[in-house]
Amino acid sequence: MKRRVEKFLEMSKLVGNNNVVVDMAGFMSVLDEKGDSFDFIKLNSIDGFDRVCSVGKKGIKRALVEADYAIAETGTVVVESSNENFRRATSLSDELFLVIRSSRVLNKLEEIANYMKEHTKKESYISFITGASRTADIEMSLTLGVHGPRDMTIFLIEEEQV
Amino acid sequence: MNELHLRIEKALSDRVLRDNLDTFYHNYKESHKRAYEGFDFNELKKEVGKIKFLSKEERLKLFEEFKKNVESAGAKVFEAKDSKEACDYIASVCKRHSSEYVVKSKSMTAEEIGLNAYLEKNGIKPVETDLGEWIIQLAKETPSHMIMPAIHKNRKQVAKLFREHLGVEVEDDDIEGMVRIARHYLREFYFKAKVGITGANVAVSETGTIGIITNEGNGRLTTTIPPVHIVVLGYEKLVKNFKEALKIIRVLPKNATGQIISVYVSWIKGAVESLSNPEGKKELHFVFVDNGRKALMGNPYFDEAMKCIRCGSCANVCPSYGVLGGHVFGHIYTGPIGAILTSFYHDDKRAMEILSLCCGCKACSEICPADIELSELIANIYGGLRFKYGLNTVRGSIYTNILARPKTLKGAAKIGSLVLKSVERSSRLRSKLTPKKHDFRVLPLPKSKSFSAVFKERLEPQQKKVDGKGRVFFYPGCAIEYLYPEVGLSMARLLNRVGLSVSIPDRMVCCGFPAVHDGDRAAAKKIIRQNAFYLPKGDDFDYFLVLCPTCGTTVKSLFSQFTLDMPKEYEKIERMEKKIVNFSKLLDELGLTVKTKGDILFTYHIPCHQNRGLHFSGEGFLKKILPRFYVPMRDKDRCCGFGGSFSIDYPEVSKAILDKKIDSIVSTNASVVVTECPGCIMQIRGGIMKRGLPIEVLHLSEFLDRYVELS
Ligand code: SF4
Ligand code: SF4
Repeated sequence: MKRRVEKFLEMSKLVGNNNVVVDMAGFMSVLDEKGDSFDFIKLNSIDGFDRVCSVGKKGIKRALVEADYAIAETGTVVVESSNENFRRATSLSDELFLVIRSSRVLNKLEEIANYMKEHTKKESYISFITGASRTADIEMSLTLGVHGPRDMTIFLIEEEQV
Repeated sequence: MNELHLRIEKALSDRVLRDNLDTFYHNYKESHKRAYEGFDFNELKKEVGKIKFLSKEERLKLFEEFKKNVESAGAKVFEAKDSKEACDYIASVCKRHSSEYVVKSKSMTAEEIGLNAYLEKNGIKPVETDLGEWIIQLAKETPSHMIMPAIHKNRKQVAKLFREHLGVEVEDDDIEGMVRIARHYLREFYFKAKVGITGANVAVSETGTIGIITNEGNGRLTTTIPPVHIVVLGYEKLVKNFKEALKIIRVLPKNATGQIISVYVSWIKGAVESLSNPEGKKELHFVFVDNGRKALMGNPYFDEAMKCIRCGSCANVCPSYGVLGGHVFGHIYTGPIGAILTSFYHDDKRAMEILSLCCGCKACSEICPADIELSELIANIYGGLRFKYGLNTVRGSIYTNILARPKTLKGAAKIGSLVLKSVERSSRLRSKLTPKKHDFRVLPLPKSKSFSAVFKERLEPQQKKVDGKGRVFFYPGCAIEYLYPEVGLSMARLLNRVGLSVSIPDRMVCCGFPAVHDGDRAAAKKIIRQNAFYLPKGDDFDYFLVLCPTCGTTVKSLFSQFTLDMPKEYEKIERMEKKIVNFSKLLDELGLTVKTKGDILFTYHIPCHQNRGLHFSGEGFLKKILPRFYVPMRDKDRCCGFGGSFSIDYPEVSKAILDKKIDSIVSTNASVVVTECPGCIMQIRGGIMKRGLPIEVLHLSEFLDRYVELS
């Protein structure tokens, strides 16, 4: 698992993400201290912090959400996004913060196939996100934040190995 | 001058286009390599090729399954016979929702059917949300690259467009500012539009889920904010399951731009919740565009092209595209695959023009992540179209009447091999009758005595006396036979010195490549079958040596194909194929010791058909034996622009490609360029002589003969 997590962090860094590695206690103190600075919070596995606002054309400053899986091979987070407001929050925030537990980091792209199959049997929208929104359409010069977030941070919660 | 030549001239004089494509070419090759670190590209390529290679029945079965799955999730599926039906359907959905604006996320299929123009005619305003597409929409142009539609524009031109069309202030070089403007301006439209239109990169049948990739996030917004979503796609996007879909997602961005994965992959299944739709859920439509696809399914050429995953990388590496851009080397679909798709979906006369601009370098076939034999497909479709629009009869008769009949080869000037045809031109050129544009290289004159004649007279008698370390059968090919006998003779002397004997065919016949490249399969067949008669039996020699990789590649990959019905010849060729080597490979296997005769700085140009046909390049060998004297050149495996008839039909394009090669050579400061292909020698040496540069261009055999001691 360690190698997988390291690879994920390496690939995540490669696309310009800020990586913050914390244990559960560490993450809780981040929430306690900085929780108020987020406009939108949605955490699947940690109760009591969710904060939902409706997101319109102007967008929001900061969103913090938990990913369902991550893929080490590509540095990708897999986010169940069927709820439209959730999708808006993650698309229209200036800074996006993604939480992922280390046990949820998969090695290769194919390993997410089963989840995808099971999950999209019904109506659904799943997003793979790998870094901040970017374009190189003018003279191949890389520029961040063309439509979506300009900045992305990963909180990787290290869990005890079971 | 015809219209095509005018457009070529315009493209060649466009400095912005040239600089952008050049930077991209160079960076792309590097990042492609990095992106695949830890993977076996050829393995992945085979896998994807297999996933996408489906019979008509299989494809239609996938469609039915997909349809059932999405319909049960609240979506509508419409099959459009042609562009008009597709556009009509889409426009009617937009009208039903009184959508003044629609937002679009880049879709090549929408380009294919001419959707924007159609919507505009119907009073609906489509707004492209991909920055590149939006730029060309403002400029009223078509994409010049499938992935980077505005690659032909520079920041200054974009700034000007923004100022004129949006009435904003922006400095000429403020790219960030322009991106901010796009963000601000386009954001409005996601919320104004009632309909979002996208394509799909993959459509997964097992569940009815589509995958859309973007870097900007515009795909995610286009499919999220408006109450209606229309997906325009072709049947070729269907795959069985997620395992397959993910394999495609793995290679697509890597091949497109050298990115590990695109920033967003949005997977959408059915009519999801929608805040802006009064019904509370999305209205979702799938428009499958036929446009001839169904009729063409099951045709081996079309099936092969159906494997395309639209990564655009065949254009990235194509030398002709690299100097002309997608507005000349392409129609709606651009680059090598564009040449093919234009013949399917658009004007096939236009397709023929694009196909004729291919110089046969095989770079596209090598890079294609879907394992499409593009260069072969191009040659074959070109052959078919030429038949329809008039075969070049002069060339046709050259192939069948002269090249296939060695007896009529009296005097080199009469020979119609394309290699030699260019020489013939050059003699006329010297009489100043040829237009100036052909005068970009100095071409050699045919020698009065052919290689075979000299070899038989001077070297053959002594072969029996050579110390029997091995027997080499040498296949000379037209260029060495008539233009560069010294290349062959150097080789024979060298091999004799180290104890190998050399034999040659009784009669010299062209290998058939010029006919193959021209798509003249009938002539190619005839020539190759002639060859088969004259080749020795496989156990008569240890190595089958070529000094021209194009001949070698043709022998290796096509001779057996054209002799399937000749049991004895086929068997001979099968056994021979395994013994084909180029000179560097042979020397490498012999493991000789090397000493240079003094200081000599040299560089190496990798001939197209060396790496991509024979799968062995002399570069590694030379680096190994002469590490102190070797300087690598930038883009060393980029085509030199020769391409046989190509350089005669399109001298200006050939010259533009050659110029890049010579610039790379000059910047190495080497005094010798070594290569292993007579065509490259003719082109590069000719160009260097024309520029009057003090650089020698030598075949490996001449180089070793002159500058190195082998033992
Ligand atoms: S073979 Fe070479 S020139 Fe021809 S289309 Fe492919 S890359 Fe372009
Ligand atoms: S033909 Fe191959 S290289 Fe060209 S766009 Fe299609 S998949 Fe990519």
